[in-house]
Amino acid sequence: MTSAKKYFSLMKTSMQASLSYRFNFFINTIAGIVFITALFYIWKAIYAQRTELGGMSWEDMKTYLLVVFITNMLLTWYSETAISRRVIDGSVSMDLLKPLDFQKARFSETIGTSIIEGGICALVAASWATVFADVNLPPNLLASGLFLVSLALSVLIKFGIIYLAGLVCFYTSSVLGVAWARAAITNLFSGALVPLTLFPDWLETITRWLPFQGIVFIPASIYMERMSGLDALWNIGIQFIWVIVLWLAGKAVWRWSVRQVTIHGG
Amino acid sequence: MSMIETFSLNKTFRQAIKDPGLKGSIKHFFTQQYRDKTAVNGIDLKIEEGESVAYVGPNGAGKSTTIKMLSGILVPTSGTLRVNGLVPHEDRIRHAKQIGVVFGQRTQLWWDLPVRESFSLLKDIYEIPDPLYKKNMDRFNDLLGLHEFSDLPARKISLGQRMRADLAAALLHNPPLVFLDEPTIGLDIAVKSRIREFVKNINQKEGSTILLTTHDLEDIKDICRRLVIIDKGRIIYDGTLEKITDAFAQERTLHFQVREPVSSISGIIANLPGVTADQVNELSFSVKFNRFQYSAGEIASKIITSADVIDFRIDEPSIDQIIRKLYNGELILQEEQPSEAIRS
Ligand SMILES: Nc1ncnc2c1ncn2[C@@H]1O[C@H](COP(=O)(O)OP(=O)(O)OP(=O)(O)O)[C@@H](O)[C@H]1O
Ligand SMILES: [Mg+2]
Repeated sequence: MTSAKKYFSLMKTSMQASLSYRFNFFINTIAGIVFITALFYIWKAIYAQRTELGGMSWEDMKTYLLVVFITNMLLTWYSETAISRRVIDGSVSMDLLKPLDFQKARFSETIGTSIIEGGICALVAASWATVFADVNLPPNLLASGLFLVSLALSVLIKFGIIYLAGLVCFYTSSVLGVAWARAAITNLFSGALVPLTLFPDWLETITRWLPFQGIVFIPASIYMERMSGLDALWNIGIQFIWVIVLWLAGKAVWRWSVRQVTIHGG
Repeated sequence: MSMIETFSLNKTFRQAIKDPGLKGSIKHFFTQQYRDKTAVNGIDLKIEEGESVAYVGPNGAGKSTTIKMLSGILVPTSGTLRVNGLVPHEDRIRHAKQIGVVFGQRTQLWWDLPVRESFSLLKDIYEIPDPLYKKNMDRFNDLLGLHEFSDLPARKISLGQRMRADLAAALLHNPPLVFLDEPTIGLDIAVKSRIREFVKNINQKEGSTILLTTHDLEDIKDICRRLVIIDKGRIIYDGTLEKITDAFAQERTLHFQVREPVSSISGIIANLPGVTADQVNELSFSVKFNRFQYSAGEIASKIITSADVIDFRIDEPSIDQIIRKLYNGELILQEEQPSEAIRS
């Protein structure tokens, strides 16, 4: 129906715009490094007492943290608040004047930013891995390939979640509150703070039914080949289903919210 | 088929009722009381292709609300509307392609992007073919002087520059229908006249239909042949500007300066019923009359024969004054043929 070119242009433009926000990236990178370094030392202290925890060695944990870092750096705070700010400052009604699908437009912009973030992230992750040395690469090519697919899906799931969180701002003006709550929930249930295998059983079961595991835990497990072969494909399938479900949920919530806006006059 | 057709269009907003102060806020937190505010109340409007219509009225009359409904970003509470064959809020994306909208208070440009890049992004968003894009860019550059600031991001340009850029952005895809909500607000005279020229050009050369709201009556004089006045959400006048000035600008004032004090002006005009005089000082006075009753020549010759006149000039009420009186309820418009009603 609508041509893809306009969305591609939006993506390019957002890549361009995000490059002009060097300072933003700098802050985001610093925040990412601080977060991961804090986790690094906490886990280091924990592993000082033991060689293994829930089947993960200290080596494994370091590798896991690297993936946490990568997924955290892709699609940051910046993209997230970009959507909520739009909702809050009322430029949504300006968006409604353009022949664009709101969700696809925001998606294109977010992906544009993520591509730039991805480039920077790769550099930083590589140097971080060098500094803290002996982080393992995925054991083989297949695992690397599956990991990249899973990582891409992780970004899409994250988009689905922040898009929904952004739309919540139609009902509250607390951008930071929403973003903070979203980040806290994501960090907990995605396995960014603690690998899901270390959760008590009941909690692990819950996380298995939520989309967040697809953000960190699944790509990390594939990277470390704790999921491989059919198991890996199965989990990638789960990620994929969540991408679709979240996209459709976003579409429905948007349709509902925009009806409120156009009725009550934002 | 008309370009715009609305039938008893209504928009009622729900506004929160809150008593003042913290107490009021706490009460509102628990009770959540609202009142209905009818912003647009039964508007019937028909605008044909190629028309240029000024939509005016006092603050809060419901002008912006109407435009928002016509552009599809507000859903009417009741009534029907059809814009170039579409119901705007139901067919939003398709409708968006056929209209160009400028809200003077808001920008549609990308805040962080150089203005030029905003344009080239719009080119893709509206799927504007290359030759048309080039042609329009050249023309807009000429008419609006965009090159002066096109490499700056929107957040760094002045209000007047932003308005020019916004106009160009809204018209880049040659929309057959253009809504302009206060496009000259806060601009200096030079920029205003530039924008008026531009809008006139779009209307006359491209045949775009224009609906414009403004508080600047010069805009109307320059651009629009038809005037729709709205007050408290209702249309109180729909017709030409001349008709309204004919109807109301019947009062003329002649100001005289004389060499020697005149003994009695009222004596001079005594045999002219309906004419009133006003002594300004010893050597100057003014005379008011109805121009449908007397010609200015009649009055002037009467006075010149009785006083040694050095100088005189004639004043007619400005449209500003007329419309201000209308808003204030000092003039009441009859629905049909206002000029006839007043004259008889
Ligand atoms: N979103 C909204 N929620 C509640 N009330 C609103 C909303 N938008 C407008 N109104 C009310 O509707 C009325 C009409 O507003 P509108 O903006 O259409 O006026 P206007 O004619 O454009 O005035 P102005 O000349 O000041 O721009 C006003 O009383 C306003 O307070
Ligand atoms: Mg207005």
